[in-house]
Amino acid sequence: MKRIIYFITFAALLILIAAGCRKNVQYKALIVTGQNTIDWQTSSTLLKQILEESGLFKAVIVNSPESGGNMNSFDPEFGKYDLVVLNYSGDQWSEKTKQDFAGYVNNGGGVVVYHAASSAFPGWKEYEEICGLTGWGGRTEQTGPYIYYNRAGRMVVDSTPGTAGWSGKVRDFEIRMRNPEHPVAKGLSVRWMHPGDVQFARLRGTPQNIEILATAFCDTTGGGTGRDEPVLMTIRYGKGRVFHTTLGFPSGEENIALKCAGFITTLQRGAEWAVSGTVTQVVPPDFPSAAAVSVRTNLKIRTLDENIEGLENYEIGKSTRFYSGIQEEIRRAAGDKEKLLEIEKKLSGLLDKPSVTNEAKKLILRELSWFGTELSVPSIKKLQSVPELKDEADFALERMGIN
Amino acid sequence: MKKTSTRRDFVLKSASALAGSFIVPYIVPASSLGLGGQTPPGDRLVMGVIGTGSQGMSDMRDFMRLKDQVRFVALCDVDAKRLASAKDAVDKTNRSKDCRTYSDYREFMEKEKLDAVLIALPDHWHGIIYTEAAKKKWDVYGEKPICRTINDGKVIVKAVKDNGIIWQTGSWQRSQANFRKGAELVLNGRIGKVKYIEVGLPDGGRGIGTPPVQEVPEELDWDMWLGPALKVPYRGVCHWNWRWILDYSGGQLTDWAGHHIDIANWGTGLEYTGPVEIEGKGVYPVDGIYNAPVEYDILCKYANGIEMRVANSSRLPKGMGTCWYGDLGWLHVDRGNRISASDPKILQEEIGENEIRLYKSDNHYQNFVDSVRSRKQAIAPIEPAYRAISVGLLGEISMTTGQKIKWDPDKEEIIDNPVASRLLIRPYRKPWTLPTV
Repeated sequence: MKRIIYFITFAALLILIAAGCRKNVQYKALIVTGQNTIDWQTSSTLLKQILEESGLFKAVIVNSPESGGNMNSFDPEFGKYDLVVLNYSGDQWSEKTKQDFAGYVNNGGGVVVYHAASSAFPGWKEYEEICGLTGWGGRTEQTGPYIYYNRAGRMVVDSTPGTAGWSGKVRDFEIRMRNPEHPVAKGLSVRWMHPGDVQFARLRGTPQNIEILATAFCDTTGGGTGRDEPVLMTIRYGKGRVFHTTLGFPSGEENIALKCAGFITTLQRGAEWAVSGTVTQVVPPDFPSAAAVSVRTNLKIRTLDENIEGLENYEIGKSTRFYSGIQEEIRRAAGDKEKLLEIEKKLSGLLDKPSVTNEAKKLILRELSWFGTELSVPSIKKLQSVPELKDEADFALERMGIN
Repeated sequence: MKKTSTRRDFVLKSASALAGSFIVPYIVPASSLGLGGQTPPGDRLVMGVIGTGSQGMSDMRDFMRLKDQVRFVALCDVDAKRLASAKDAVDKTNRSKDCRTYSDYREFMEKEKLDAVLIALPDHWHGIIYTEAAKKKWDVYGEKPICRTINDGKVIVKAVKDNGIIWQTGSWQRSQANFRKGAELVLNGRIGKVKYIEVGLPDGGRGIGTPPVQEVPEELDWDMWLGPALKVPYRGVCHWNWRWILDYSGGQLTDWAGHHIDIANWGTGLEYTGPVEIEGKGVYPVDGIYNAPVEYDILCKYANGIEMRVANSSRLPKGMGTCWYGDLGWLHVDRGNRISASDPKILQEEIGENEIRLYKSDNHYQNFVDSVRSRKQAIAPIEPAYRAISVGLLGEISMTTGQKIKWDPDKEEIIDNPVASRLLIRPYRKPWTLPTV
């Protein structure tokens, strides 16, 4: 009997250790969709993948009846989930469903309001409070004042009467974080480029429970407001926490706005904050900055090996993202000798490989010049006899203090 | 080529020509020589320029605005177009076509006899050319940041000191009233004991992606422009925009360190020392030819306990500029004559006779000319410039390695970190070498 108990304890321990090695799926998410002014099928599929890619969520998509259908039959069990993602803008839900949803949030349920969901349910006061900012659907100053930032970087609550909701044309724009200390924003670039999205403006709401995390300038050249309009925000409703992103328009084949590393990261972090009030996810190495957009074609972060492989064919004029990715890994290794040695082995392996381009080798030699060890020296020395690489090889060896 | 003449030569020649009956003072009243209201040429500083790009031209024009005190006689640039337009400007002011031009600074240095030289080059050229100019004993007006690496900086500082030249760094904020007033109030304890300083420098901007190789413009000697930097094909990035590429610059951080960090040090008496600990984090472009950090956040600790945070301005509550925090309040200064304090009364305070008075200059260029004449130190001497950029460069090393850096400001060495220490140097492409001093 004792033996069996030992065995069970041991097995349980193993399972726990194994589970600890990779992120645990901790939260259940429900993506509510079925009607919308945008392509709700594509966006819901991508949202599900993005949430699951974080390793924290298991997501289920629930579709409402089609427009004009029997909405009484639409009765999701919100309470079974930790997070409800709203990708819905269409027919009014039944009163029961509305009450259930408001009750779910009030009791501490987490919510992500995604993009066009801010146009849903005109007249439903609780919903407007949960979203923080809403627009369209005949909304006016009755919904609340306009909320935006001025050019001096201050939040403006503007009671001017008028319509609510405006959306621009698909374009790249810069996001400006307004509260870099918020758990969702902490450690992220303060300014970052976001590609191929539709910006919302002239949204209205009540400022008391809203915390604006980020804005984007709404260019007047496209008929925009000339204001810095909120794009990321959090809202407190009862015991519930809401993360609202106005970003992520599914534009078609590439859906680049949803594949932006900035959109993905803020959504994953916002979702975690909504369910737990904290963020445990590390800042990904490919988070964009003001310098350039960063797109994940398959929604995944490139691994070191993928970056190494991508670097092999580098030529001038091609993207430097693989090299930049490796540089970021080196910075993040922060003196961790083992990790640095692993990267060094892979890089000096590329130096030895005849098929690797000289341009790639030049970049590698710059990097090894400061963090390379004796391990790389033979490979670097060999390149001193390659005329195209001699300068870079000399550069590396001189910096390493090797004659 | 016509032999050049300098102010010193002129003084000697005039003195002998007049057989000692007339000793030429530094400033000769124009009327006494009957030159129609102009200062005689002999009393003007004979100056040359190396680097006639946007900053060089801007400095040159400021010098030429000092009515008749400076005469530019020789210009040098690797871009023939820029050289020609600089010569045009000089010729107009000089009302003569005598100004000589060079495409190679070595020939310029060999042939010219100057009182002083204005040098405005990309950072990667500073080590060699500042040092060579000092070794020629020319007084130098040199643009910030004074070096691309700490190793270059050490050599430049030594060359300037050993050769006893007058040096003025292009840190012109020192010659602005608001910065001086702010620094003076802080130095005299008007916000109490300073514990913490925030320095806001510009954010990095948008990149240009990865342009292909392009034909080098006919007017540009690209190999000479690169000089000691690694050879790369021309891709359309050269003038001005070199500052976004790490081979030549450290981006906005090192571009601006010589301004607001310099002011921070000036107001705190940290001009001749450096931090003992530096820890920074940078945001780097994930793609593109521009690879300097676009965001940065660096915390430095000094031996006296003061902490200094240097970050891109979007991260800081007060944005751009220098803000000192003392135990009695804060004081903030920035360009555009901005000065503010936790209590406006602080700004009304007078500095008493027995209190610390800072060096006063209201015109950075005039101050250089005056210093050359008087042989007294200029307002922005070499070592404070080196100490200011060191903060930026050590921050860069911390961001590159991801590590906290320990620095010995007296020995000017990184402590116990041979890997990070390698980043104190950027080896030169052969045949270029950093001159020995």
